[in-house]
Amino acid sequence: MDYDIIIIGSGPAGYVSAIRAGQLGMKVALIEKNRVGGLCLNWGCIPSKAMIESAKFYRRVVKDAAKFGIEGIDRKKISFNYTKAMNRANSIVKRLTKGIEFLLKKNNVEVIPTEAKILDEHNVSAGNRLLSTRYILIATGSTFKPITPEREYETSIQQFYEMEEMPERIVIYGYDAPSVEVAQMLAFIDRKVTLLVPNDTIMPLADDFLKDYALRLLKKEKVNVILGATRDKIKVEKGKITFADEFIEYDLLLNLSNRQATLPQMDIDLRMDGDFLWTNDNLQTSVDNIFAAGDVNGKSRFAHISSAEGLFVIKWISGVKKELDFTKFPLNMYTHPEMAQIGLTEQQIKEQGIDYKVSEFSLSANGKALAEGSNEGVVRILSETKYGEVLGVQIVADDATDMISEAAAYLQLESTIYDVASTVHAHPTISEAFMEAGLEAVDKAIHK
Amino acid sequence: MAKYIFKFPDIGEGLEEGIILEWKVKKGQRIEAGDILVVMETDKVAAEIPSPKSGTITQLFGKEGDVIKVGEALVEIELEAGEETAPLEDPAKATKVEAVEEEGAGVVGTLEVATGAAVMRASDEGLEDKPQAQETKKRKVLATPVARAMAKDLGVDINQIKGTGPGGRVTKKDILQYVERQSKTSGQTLATQPAYGTQEPRVEVEQLSQIRKTIAHNMIRSKHNAAHMAVFDEVEISRLVEIRSRYKEIYAREGIKLTYLPFILKATALALKKHKALNAEMDLEGGKMIYKKYYNIGIAVDTPRGLIVPVIRDVDRLSIKQIAIEVQNITRKVEENKITLDDMRDGTFSITSYGSIGGKFAFPVINYPQVGILGIGRITEQPVVRDGQVVVGKVLPLSISADHRVVDGAEVSRFLNTIMSYLADPISLMME
Repeated sequence: MDYDIIIIGSGPAGYVSAIRAGQLGMKVALIEKNRVGGLCLNWGCIPSKAMIESAKFYRRVVKDAAKFGIEGIDRKKISFNYTKAMNRANSIVKRLTKGIEFLLKKNNVEVIPTEAKILDEHNVSAGNRLLSTRYILIATGSTFKPITPEREYETSIQQFYEMEEMPERIVIYGYDAPSVEVAQMLAFIDRKVTLLVPNDTIMPLADDFLKDYALRLLKKEKVNVILGATRDKIKVEKGKITFADEFIEYDLLLNLSNRQATLPQMDIDLRMDGDFLWTNDNLQTSVDNIFAAGDVNGKSRFAHISSAEGLFVIKWISGVKKELDFTKFPLNMYTHPEMAQIGLTEQQIKEQGIDYKVSEFSLSANGKALAEGSNEGVVRILSETKYGEVLGVQIVADDATDMISEAAAYLQLESTIYDVASTVHAHPTISEAFMEAGLEAVDKAIHK
Repeated sequence: MAKYIFKFPDIGEGLEEGIILEWKVKKGQRIEAGDILVVMETDKVAAEIPSPKSGTITQLFGKEGDVIKVGEALVEIELEAGEETAPLEDPAKATKVEAVEEEGAGVVGTLEVATGAAVMRASDEGLEDKPQAQETKKRKVLATPVARAMAKDLGVDINQIKGTGPGGRVTKKDILQYVERQSKTSGQTLATQPAYGTQEPRVEVEQLSQIRKTIAHNMIRSKHNAAHMAVFDEVEISRLVEIRSRYKEIYAREGIKLTYLPFILKATALALKKHKALNAEMDLEGGKMIYKKYYNIGIAVDTPRGLIVPVIRDVDRLSIKQIAIEVQNITRKVEENKITLDDMRDGTFSITSYGSIGGKFAFPVINYPQVGILGIGRITEQPVVRDGQVVVGKVLPLSISADHRVVDGAEVSRFLNTIMSYLADPISLMME
């Protein structure tokens, strides 16, 4: 065998598992036909965060500068240069790509920049090379599922982050966190945005509390949110979408809705599960030594879960067999303020018939949040009443996506609400809200 | 000084795990290589496990009653100067193994084997700085807060529980599983539920013993793999009865108990020599027959713990007296629960005797991959015709099960006939 493992696709599932496999001394080939880092790094997580940051900055200057004591800003002269903001995003992407390439090299991963084809369970062709391997990991991600078969009017996320200009009227067809984030970001930079949701609700994995919060945020920015626009009920034409006798005009139709697996070329048949590759609990496909991690197996659309899946596969191959627990992964939404959650939602807790308690602490009483002018938000802890186990946490705060890591540790360590209450948090910090919420659950918050 | 982790070794074919029956050493005790460390209940027997090294015991992994898998750590020995061994690997230096990250355990000091090649501490967390010989107080076990609260609430000693979390941390799941196991053992789950409105428990639930599990496993394997067929017949053994009763008293003076079994064993071994297909094994996948040139006959022994089948070796070469001694020795070993895996290995044929309990004919299950098993029923007085006269005869009923894949019915009958002719004319046993 030429390799211990051949990994096809270098997104968060592929490159992370390639590095780990290299660290464990396996002989690894990583085959990538496009850019190292995949969708997340090149056209997803990273550029979107950079653009959101620009948009937030712009909005803050426009809205809050005077309040913070900064004078001399002429509102009429301030404008948002989309091209420059995008350049900044691209330079960050470049830097990170270089970083990953360096890490891959350092860990003896052979990167083969071409398209792979799986010939059989042990043989893969890459360009004009024929490679044999013990294991194959398919980490080829997903692509959007077009609204119209011809895809003639719609823009993919990939195309979106390659645009240098942004037109005025934008319709986003989608329902989950990235759709909400982009909608808000574009609204911040004064675009007219419609969020056309193919489902009855946005962010299906989020707690109802966060869903409602997100809808309020969008409403505040005058984003037109239309629910229930399933594919069969909308008619897409050039520059115009019809839904329930309503016309929505657009300059750009961004399709962030359903996705489907991107499959590598294959001479063998792998079982499918709808639009995705079927895998068992060990992430094995219908062929035992071929694994699938990340979007391609349809279990999740999140980069960190993809990475965790990739690492799980490498561990599994090296003999460490553990369960993959999807309930302990954080769910982040890069809105403004940010939102994050982990563990069970209140609806899931109710469904399971667990006696629980909700304890909240609003940031409106948090010193640092007030000082920073970002006092919109809340820390919300759901704990079970018998032992006080922390079952779920939701956060709305400027840095919620980082703060959630504290909650992740609580869940990972099976902490109780008493542990949360008795953990000393530095003052002044936003995270003090955790301790207050903990105290609230046990007895009574200090600052409430 | 170097420490040595002694792992539960593979002491028998296919053995996967054992239960700690009794520790023979204590923490802090000095031992010599060869000293017995622990008695393990394995698939069928109690096996004494000797130490491969001399030194001082610094850690026992597991309590009496704990299940230990082959390859898992049993004891940690601080070696004496001169006893060279690979030292405990530093987890930080381990490159090949993921275990460092989250596998392994530290609860009751358990160490887990990562690849089988190396034993390493998964985490230093929770491990004592220095092993203290006199230390009897337990250190605080690693456990999650919820697990602690739950253990306290349910009255469970958390120290008894082996953690499966990172670093051997006891988690909620471990407590729940432990409680479930406990309640199953005591038969509470079902037994406490009144069935159909009555207050009386309608079932009794009991944990399967290792030996019962093994029997079940072996029986299914036999019935699954072999094509069972049976032949029943009767043989008149007046002469054998006479010889046996004569020698019974002579042997008794030497302390040897003479039953019919040694004669039947001898007759069977001699018959096997003449009918080699019955003393064989089929390798269907390899397309081969393996005929054995040794005649080791297992005798099924009923014990309160379950059926076990110790083997008498080279029966064809032993005299009736020697066989009687072997049978007596093995029976004593069974009674004293000292049978080892070695005593049960390499049988080529089996005999099961139920006559002393009752029963005439049976359809015994073949001790797979052996080809046959002979069943011995109760000897009764019956009218038989001898020289045209109806006389009182001593009749021994015999049953034989054989694997029809290997041998056909005619040959099985011929084999049984040979045994019967030996038993009918016991002198012939000496004449071969």
